[in-house]
Amino acid sequence: MNAVELPDQIQPVMQNGIPAIVVTCSADGIPNTTIISQVYYVDKTHIALSFQFFNKTIRNVRENPQACVALNDLEGNTKWILDVEYDHSETEGPIFDEMDMQIEAIASATGMSGIFKLRAADIYRVKSSKKVSLAPASPRE
Amino acid sequence: MIPGKILAFLEDEGTVAVSGTRDANLIPAIHYVSGWDVEPNKRTIRCSIPQAFADLISSLENNRQFSLTIEQIGSHETYQFKGDYVGSARPNEADMAAHERVKARFAKVVNQVFGLPQEMCRAYISRPSLVIRFTVREIFLQTPGPGAGHRLVPPEEE
Repeated sequence: MNAVELPDQIQPVMQNGIPAIVVTCSADGIPNTTIISQVYYVDKTHIALSFQFFNKTIRNVRENPQACVALNDLEGNTKWILDVEYDHSETEGPIFDEMDMQIEAIASATGMSGIFKLRAADIYRVKSSKKVSLAPASPRE
Repeated sequence: MIPGKILAFLEDEGTVAVSGTRDANLIPAIHYVSGWDVEPNKRTIRCSIPQAFADLISSLENNRQFSLTIEQIGSHETYQFKGDYVGSARPNEADMAAHERVKARFAKVVNQVFGLPQEMCRAYISRPSLVIRFTVREIFLQTPGPGAGHRLVPPEEE
């Protein structure tokens, strides 16, 4: 499948500081759901996820490169769902350095300095993106 | 059986939940969860799913695999539950009460941590249209730190 281009409006959502979600699946068919602190915009067709603790995610995508990522836009009452495919990991270079700096800033702001530590920037190709706009809350809600 | 400490976390402390499924081609999917409750057997969790993310029954009937991750925003205490789908239902009164509790807790904590208005946060936790029931097979610690990824139930062999 060809990569799709990410809409411009998704970039601020990736920078809003709200954690994101990634679901992967092992080769034997067990889904794995994790909450991650950052999704990084690489270019129009690629994102990077911060690989910090959860070895299961990276093990899964090496067995089965498919993943699903959700971004949270509370102010826009919108969720973004990205279907992505793992491409490669980077442990140095400009993307890694920029993500490392952002992770440290997030850690500092959330009291997790010294705990959040970037091991690799995992680069994924975007296969599709879907914007899920939520209906306004009903009076009961 | 879910240990008492984690039952207490589910009841009183978790503030946000998301779930994962996969289809017959091992393509994973995300489903937001807008409430949860543990059934009296202490093994089965009921997850309330909003309409926008309720397209999961065909995958669950195909392979039964379900994963649920719940975090306490602020402390980052997080657990992942993996298990087997046992059925679905329309949300009942108790499910809606659980949804309201989670929504209130989420709004309060996100307001404190991120400074966003509680009204905005409450609107983000959508009303459920479906309940997924699954029996827990494994529980993993996912709190950031050296223990992240450690399996708690059944215990890993040292």
